Amino acid sequence: MPVPSLPERFFPFFFFVIISLLSSCIQSRFVLGFVNRMRFLIVSFFVLIPLFLFAGKFEEEIVPLLKNSCLKCHGGEKTKGKVDFSGILTERAAGDHLDLWETVIEVVELGEMPPEEEKPLSTDERAKIRTWRDEFMRLPIVSSIPVFRPRRLSANEYRNTLGSLFGFDLEVGIARAEQTESGEKSLVLKILPPDPPGQSGFFNDTHSTPLSSSLLESYAYLAGISLDRLFSIQGRDFLARLTRQKDNWNGEITPDLADKVVRSFLPRIFRRPVGEERIESIVKKLKGKKGKALVAALKFELKAALISPEFLYRGFLAEPGGDKGRQAVDPYELAERLSYFLWEDMPDEELYESARNGSLGKKGEVGRQIARMLTDPRARNLSESFGVQLLGLSSIDDQIKNNPIHLHAMRTQPRDFLHYLFTEDRPVMELLDSNVTFVNQSTSGFYGNDRKRLAPFHKPRGVERQRTMNQRLEIKEAEGRGGILTMPSILSMNHGPILRGTWVLRTILGVRLGEPPADVPPIKPVPRGKKMTFRERFEAHRDNVTCARCHEKIDPIGFALDGYDKNGKYLLASHHKRGNQPAIDTSGKLPSGEQFEDFEGLKNILTTTKKEQVIRNLTRKILSYALGRKLGRGDQGVVEEITNKATSENSSWKELLIEVANSPPFREIVYEQEDTK
Amino acid sequence: MSRNWKIERRTFLRGAGALLPLPFLNLMEANARSGDLHSSDPPLRFMTLFKPNGVHPPSWNINGGKENDFRMSPLMQPFAKHKDDLLILDNMGDFGFSSHSNSTRRFLCGHHQNSRSASVDQLIADQVQGDSPHRSLELTTEGLFVNQIGCSYISYDKKGGMIPRESDPQLIFDKLFRNPLSDPAKRAEMTSLLDRVSSDAKTLERKAGVEDGDTLDEYFTALRETELKLEKMGPLDQGLESSKFNRLVRPLAPSNLDEQVNAMLDVIAMALWTDSTRCISYMLGNSNSRMIFDFLGIKKQHHYLSHFFRNFSRENIDSLLKISLWHMEKFDYLLNKLKSYKDHNGRLLDHCVVLYGSGMGHSDNHTAQRLPVVLAGQGGGKLKTGRYLRYSKNQELGRLHLSLLDLFGVEQDSFANAQQPLPGLDGGTFDEFVERPFESWVKVDSGVMTVQGRLRMSDNLDEAKVFYIDVAGRDSIRMEIGFGDFHSRNVAYHVGTPIKLTGKTVEKNGLTILNKITGLESLFGRSNPGKAGG
Repeated sequence: MPVPSLPERFFPFFFFVIISLLSSCIQSRFVLGFVNRMRFLIVSFFVLIPLFLFAGKFEEEIVPLLKNSCLKCHGGEKTKGKVDFSGILTERAAGDHLDLWETVIEVVELGEMPPEEEKPLSTDERAKIRTWRDEFMRLPIVSSIPVFRPRRLSANEYRNTLGSLFGFDLEVGIARAEQTESGEKSLVLKILPPDPPGQSGFFNDTHSTPLSSSLLESYAYLAGISLDRLFSIQGRDFLARLTRQKDNWNGEITPDLADKVVRSFLPRIFRRPVGEERIESIVKKLKGKKGKALVAALKFELKAALISPEFLYRGFLAEPGGDKGRQAVDPYELAERLSYFLWEDMPDEELYESARNGSLGKKGEVGRQIARMLTDPRARNLSESFGVQLLGLSSIDDQIKNNPIHLHAMRTQPRDFLHYLFTEDRPVMELLDSNVTFVNQSTSGFYGNDRKRLAPFHKPRGVERQRTMNQRLEIKEAEGRGGILTMPSILSMNHGPILRGTWVLRTILGVRLGEPPADVPPIKPVPRGKKMTFRERFEAHRDNVTCARCHEKIDPIGFALDGYDKNGKYLLASHHKRGNQPAIDTSGKLPSGEQFEDFEGLKNILTTTKKEQVIRNLTRKILSYALGRKLGRGDQGVVEEITNKATSENSSWKELLIEVANSPPFREIVYEQEDTK
Repeated sequence: MSRNWKIERRTFLRGAGALLPLPFLNLMEANARSGDLHSSDPPLRFMTLFKPNGVHPPSWNINGGKENDFRMSPLMQPFAKHKDDLLILDNMGDFGFSSHSNSTRRFLCGHHQNSRSASVDQLIADQVQGDSPHRSLELTTEGLFVNQIGCSYISYDKKGGMIPRESDPQLIFDKLFRNPLSDPAKRAEMTSLLDRVSSDAKTLERKAGVEDGDTLDEYFTALRETELKLEKMGPLDQGLESSKFNRLVRPLAPSNLDEQVNAMLDVIAMALWTDSTRCISYMLGNSNSRMIFDFLGIKKQHHYLSHFFRNFSRENIDSLLKISLWHMEKFDYLLNKLKSYKDHNGRLLDHCVVLYGSGMGHSDNHTAQRLPVVLAGQGGGKLKTGRYLRYSKNQELGRLHLSLLDLFGVEQDSFANAQQPLPGLDGGTFDEFVERPFESWVKVDSGVMTVQGRLRMSDNLDEAKVFYIDVAGRDSIRMEIGFGDFHSRNVAYHVGTPIKLTGKTVEKNGLTILNKITGLESLFGRSNPGKAGG
């Protein structure tokens, strides 16, 4: 790509200006009052000056460097380490890869890149990169929204949508017995390939996994068997309810009824009203047919709709409100965004109605809908999908290979806890510090005398082993418990201080840690005649500068959790302290200076001085999941705004979800289209 | 296309039987017109049905019968009407104990240590596949028992590796009969569907902006690829005519285990009949199945109930027998199906060998002795059915497998520990069990009783854990032992055979009852018939 000429170079800048002005107007419509708008305009004015001075520096100084020293391996033909600079040759693009620049600076300053066999960068050149990045980071952030791209339903979304459309779930026919692993229960998930996480890290970000021919065939197959079942005796009740048949309906599909089926199914399949023209064109094709031929033709029409892009993707049918550019999404698109966000499923009747009668756009209605939606059973998908991905809970499944009853306990505990936090309006920070937990027979042993308050777990005679449901338990006496970090399942998911520390940093604090370098020196063996704990040995390891860079962050947190063994048992409970066991040192000091004596102390730091950081991380994740895409620089403003509000107001999860759903990236859309085709 | 005439030939039917499901009638008539009556022999099929968790031996065993003169046992009653098509084998297996996972391996591999070899069904599959499209099917009802993974598999590949099983009757039906790859009618439908979708999406293309366009392109590309794939499979006009699979009835989604198994047995019969495959193994459950048969009104787990000695109650044994009877009914269901289909100038069953049974006998102490094993079907005339073969000695299960391999034309000198095939299956001579004379007596000396006689389990279900030793000329000795003795002495192994037993007695309701074993010898068999876990 040639270096952009001067006008091109300034384009991003003009674009920022336009967007910032536009967004100020639009934001004001939804969020900000008049005063805020004025403030925004004044701020924008000051923003423009540094922007002016800065614009183009990336193209001028950094792009030539990239071309000389990086693109050979990281762009165009080769993309080693999956790093590709070829799409990041403008400042605007660079802004969307802030975390990449963090890594770039790290590897460049450590001399890891360019690799030994290539020409090294001069000190001057290295400084240039850092200077650019530091200045760029200091630039005020202008909220912007990337151009909207339709997105294919994820496998989970597809499964749930199909279930809601037809009133039954397609399940694998396999008998379930205790202690038996029956594999994937959903036929849809068994047949569809699993979605890889997208750039956002979430499975609903399907942008980078294109539709393939075999996937299309799977969709056609699943649509076919769903329709077969709908028009069999097993689907009769649902069909009768949907088309309001009388009780004595014999299941016959009359031409009249076929018409009704088309009219009721099509808008549900497309999740918005369907024009009379399209309905008519389908109804026409059914004309004159009856009996089996009619059913076959009806199935054919519905199947065509079920493998159409309008059904399989979200967003193809979003209606621009006149002009192109940034604008509020149409109400049906908003309804769909809400339902897939909270339910991973299509909108229900009530949400659809709210979109139809225009009330969804009214102030407060989104909040009201969310409050209602969280009480619906489908809200379980928020913890089962978003929650599981947020905390990486699926790796529990890999840890426990041959004890399905134990696995069940370990799987359900954090999920039930998240569901409780999400749906019962609990404060966000209760994720880390809560006196409520969920335990079943397998996990109750971790909760000391508190477990005595549980209702007895009943095992019927003749049942040798069984899974038990979790019960909600208030922690009163149990030592070392409370919050997600002290759950046996989370502790046993990550063994050892290093994995635990890394998990907390990445998952809870949102710290981006690089991969450990390949030539990591082994931890030195204990010198003869000396007794050293793992921690002491490891501290020696940290003397190495390369290692210390990450380990000064990881270790204090990880070792604070050393009071729990690999199964999550709390070793420091007062009744365990006996004999001459070596005392476990759980004290530490964070790189930011805070000191603590034990894990309780660390937890206290996490929920006070680190509170904002935790909330920022969670906000980013929720927003990214809600949007089904990676966040860019343009989203920073929204993240900050929500973070500040949630931190100062001590918001609940519900409030946080509502904030996200009311934010411009969620409620607005940018059309950059030319209506030429 | 070379397959079309085959299907017609195989599906030929002279007159449709009354049991035939209606949709097949037209299909049959169409085939009748096509002639081809005197073509080569029909292919032989092998089908095996595995029963989990052994049996309650007194309910299963036939006692005192002869080859051509026997009465079916109580558990056999559900399939008694097929007597003429059955070959009931007795004295199969030769181990004192069998773990659940060993019993699954033994069932088709002959011996649990034969773990580097393919199971017999797989060896047969290789031999008989011919031009049938699917080499074999490995089916089950239940998920994997991960604690002891071996419990979940009876079919093993060449290296002795577990072969994944499938469980969903609808999916298997679709794989066999509704696959666009093999079903031209499905292909035609798919083609016109893609045409329709493609033209509908064109309107979207006009509307879509630049960014949408990329995504839409991706969709159209997939659409075109699929169209090309379908085109490559050949012209459609030939297909529509010959697609008789379309008339097979796809099973409904099952709502309980009974429906699931019936649906699977339906699909199995269709698969064999259409010659889609010639070899199927189907597990009615894992060998230690913990399924709950709530549709029979039973709330306890099958495995728990199967340990009827240690978990004895009248209610439990009743439940266990109900479950076992249900397994027998499924065998009956399968035989009915296989008889209802006409194959060439006979019934489908005539050209099948069905192996039904379990890898363990006594379900509480897991003996691998007097295993329930029944063969059904005439095997193309190679099996002489309607007989009860009780061998004089315990037979290695591998000998049966060697005979089956021989029957299907697989040349092999030995299988598992067996060097010789099992005689008698084809009607030839075999060493039939005969009672050997022995003396029976009782001696009691200061609370220690020594008794020689035939051991048997009580056939009174109210006392199913009680044993008797029959002694000529007097009342049988009643034995009420604890689980320790039952298990460590492997009492179940000796049931039905003469033994010399020493033990302590107590007086109970005026009766002398043996309640502790101090010595046990077999008169004609092994006194130490193997250890637990063997």
